[in-house]
Amino acid sequence: MPNPIEQYARDLSEETREAVRKSGALTTGQRVEILQKDYEDPDALRRLAGEIKQHTIDHLDSYLEQAEASLTKAGAKVHFASDADSARQCVLGILQQSDVQRVVKSKSMATEEIHLNPFLEKQGIETVETDLGEFIIQIDEDTPSHIVRPIIHKKREEVAESFEKHGLGDYNTDPETITRRARVHLREKYMQSGAGITGGNFVSAESGRIVLVTNEGNARFSMAPNKVHIAVIGIEKIVPRDRDLAVFLNLLARSATAQQLTVYTQFIKGPRMPSQPSGPEEMHVVFLDNGRSQILGESCREILRCIRCGACQNVCPVYRHASGHAYRAVYGGPIGAVLSPLLGGKASFPEYADLPKASSLCGACREVCPVDIPIPDMLLKLRHKGKKQGVSTPGSFPMAPFATLATSPTAWRTAMTAARAMNYLPMKLAPIKPLRDWLGDRTLPKWRGGDFRRWLKTRKGNNADA
Amino acid sequence: MATQSIERAVNTEVQLMMTCLCDAFYAGVAEATVRVLEAAGCRVHVPEDQTCCGQPAFNGGDFESSRKIAQHTAKVFSGDLPIIVPSGSCAAMHLHGNGLQFENAPDEGQMGVRSLAKRTWEVCDFLVHGLGKTTWPGRLDRRVAIHDSCHTRGSGTGAAMRTLLGSIAGVELLEIGQAEQCCGFGGTFSVTFPHISTGMGTLKLDEVHAKRPDMLVSGDMSCLMHLNGLAENQERALPHCHAVEVLAEALG
Amino acid sequence: MPDRDAIFKRVRTSLLQSSGGAPLPDYDPSALVAKPRLTGAGLWENFAQNFGAVSGRPMTELGEVVSFLKSEGVSYGYCDLALCERFETVLDEIGIEIVSTYDRERYDDYQFGITRAAGAIAETGTVILTDSSTSDRLGALTPWIHIAVLPEACLIETVGEALASFDPDETTIIWATGPSKTADIEGILIEGVHGPGEQVCLLML
Repeated sequence: MPNPIEQYARDLSEETREAVRKSGALTTGQRVEILQKDYEDPDALRRLAGEIKQHTIDHLDSYLEQAEASLTKAGAKVHFASDADSARQCVLGILQQSDVQRVVKSKSMATEEIHLNPFLEKQGIETVETDLGEFIIQIDEDTPSHIVRPIIHKKREEVAESFEKHGLGDYNTDPETITRRARVHLREKYMQSGAGITGGNFVSAESGRIVLVTNEGNARFSMAPNKVHIAVIGIEKIVPRDRDLAVFLNLLARSATAQQLTVYTQFIKGPRMPSQPSGPEEMHVVFLDNGRSQILGESCREILRCIRCGACQNVCPVYRHASGHAYRAVYGGPIGAVLSPLLGGKASFPEYADLPKASSLCGACREVCPVDIPIPDMLLKLRHKGKKQGVSTPGSFPMAPFATLATSPTAWRTAMTAARAMNYLPMKLAPIKPLRDWLGDRTLPKWRGGDFRRWLKTRKGNNADA
Repeated sequence: MATQSIERAVNTEVQLMMTCLCDAFYAGVAEATVRVLEAAGCRVHVPEDQTCCGQPAFNGGDFESSRKIAQHTAKVFSGDLPIIVPSGSCAAMHLHGNGLQFENAPDEGQMGVRSLAKRTWEVCDFLVHGLGKTTWPGRLDRRVAIHDSCHTRGSGTGAAMRTLLGSIAGVELLEIGQAEQCCGFGGTFSVTFPHISTGMGTLKLDEVHAKRPDMLVSGDMSCLMHLNGLAENQERALPHCHAVEVLAEALG
Repeated sequence: MPDRDAIFKRVRTSLLQSSGGAPLPDYDPSALVAKPRLTGAGLWENFAQNFGAVSGRPMTELGEVVSFLKSEGVSYGYCDLALCERFETVLDEIGIEIVSTYDRERYDDYQFGITRAAGAIAETGTVILTDSSTSDRLGALTPWIHIAVLPEACLIETVGEALASFDPDETTIIWATGPSKTADIEGILIEGVHGPGEQVCLLML
């Protein structure tokens, strides 16, 4: 059985692949450009950001407590949710208490993770995504395939068709026209809803300020006309102080979209001020665990530094070839290959144990990560975890015989010489399917096993010993 | 892998780790490494019982197997001489991979494995950053495209290779586009994910050919084996060799 | 709150597994400044340069704003009461009406909104809006054109300084760096999504 990601990549249309690859390559290049233009040593910044985040999660209990106290003091209500179900019930409870029938949502990976929209819809609460990409995903009943660019896999023609189908105007493929139509349609939704639901990019423990970034202005609009604001935020999103946000904001926008800052960067720690006519009267923060506290105790805890910029997805050659949906979970690409097997706890590990194998371990993700997460190391640790737990993943090779050979020098030397027979075998008829596939696209060099060792021995006047 | 700042043993008496790939396929690379090191004034020892760094098992997540191989390697390369490897990938196994697979393991369980990280050098890195060579003699009129292998990220190899090759009279170095992208080999990755691997390699070949080089040079034969294997199949093979083979050729 | 206690318990249990924790690194905030963005003659010049780079329109004369609004063909907008005196006469002369109360029922009728900025960041070309300086959040958000009126004394040089100068009493602080935009469809940049498609900053001397 081929690995599921390989299979998905095989079945993917060349058009989609090209779209994902182009976008990834473009953003990767622009990211390097802006970082090098603005900073003498961007890598030092990445390391600094990683250290601050690591410190924070290493002291998460006290920072979480501090954030809770700061937010409460500023007039926000703080809730905690152990898992997806608890978070959904918590949000529902808040909405019911305020008798909210309609909500607008600003793009949030945490609410994707807990599958909030279908749940609220089932409860009879109209839930509208407002980020353009997420809105298109919602009307298409699709799922996002990239953290920052949710519809990276869609062509404008598909969007035009969806808009036509959903009564949002005649078929028109012009991105500007599509955007204007969404603008008109969605502002009606903002103005008619009772609550705005957002995620949160950072939380300053010191001040309790929640930082929300959007380019479209939809988080701002989800709050301005509404009575209630609910922010669903992973417990790992905390940073110690307001001043530390300079490190993260500067890196986040440059890493995600090669901007200096995202257009709308909002710092919120409570309801609107009394003098302000527009804005929520209530602010609720739902701190979501959903497996994070478990990850904190495991060997891949550094993954909790992630600030969801998508740079690892953009640079990853496997992601570029297979697209985000190949990873079968909310988070795709390198970050998803680590997070998905961990987030669901023990139960979901076998389901996603193949994801860490979908990497050539090239390390490009680590090089671009704004918080310096050693992603390739984690992929290796998760492979090891899979091996130890005896989880079989498609395309695994037994390595014990190789280890026996590689620790028996005499047998090794014999094998090196004996394998010269390979030169005379019809390799295209190789008995193992993966090997045959491999050789279908490649030729192998001529086997010269033992030649160097012989050369050393016969070499006159050399000072190399053997 | 961040290896640049590691303090490592320097000596003109060295041990050569030929790598399993050179043992099996690329005898010429191992020979060139000996010749180049000798030209740089080194006395080269080649321990006979050497086999493999253990990376194939390590990358497969079978740390139990790869630790055994690492321990064997540590035994074979005991002592305190620098260990020179004509592969950034195998060097990275010693410099980084072993630390990961023996994480939290007591010193005695490692049986000298930790010492490998203090002595291992990729050969170009050693010549420039170990021995302080900044020029190389000879003349070769050639346009050379350089492929940086992934496991030399953050190491001194890329700069060292450019310093040495670029100093040979007549050599023109060509930087290929999207250099951070992997060639698609990744060991067993290319077998488990042949479609993706081939796609990656094809893109890399496109970038290489766009520069119209006379030859493709790298510090890792695994990447070149994969790329050439694809290129031959796609009927666009081009001369390719390890950086030390160019250095050896320049020696005449 | 059972979830709260359960989460803290799990977090504390997990932290026992880690090696005690990394210290909070000490760092020099000046390392975070994009120095090449601050090579102009002064705060305003740097701001104007960076604001322009994100499609913002920096202006220093009331007349510039008037001609811009004229060229955009607008006739009706929202204006902060505190700024009405300044704009009313000049706009009235060219047939543009302003009102100082935002009527939610008419959200689509406001073609522009004039509100006060609480500050601006030169390094990034960012306009700072707060709840206490913005007369109505919607007035700065729903119209196609937003004009932020900035007192010169409120210009700040860097992102770090802007963070350090947060007023603890402000529950909502917004940094707007250019008009709202998206690149969701095939990576093509479109300005003016949910918020303004034109962002003007008028320096008030």
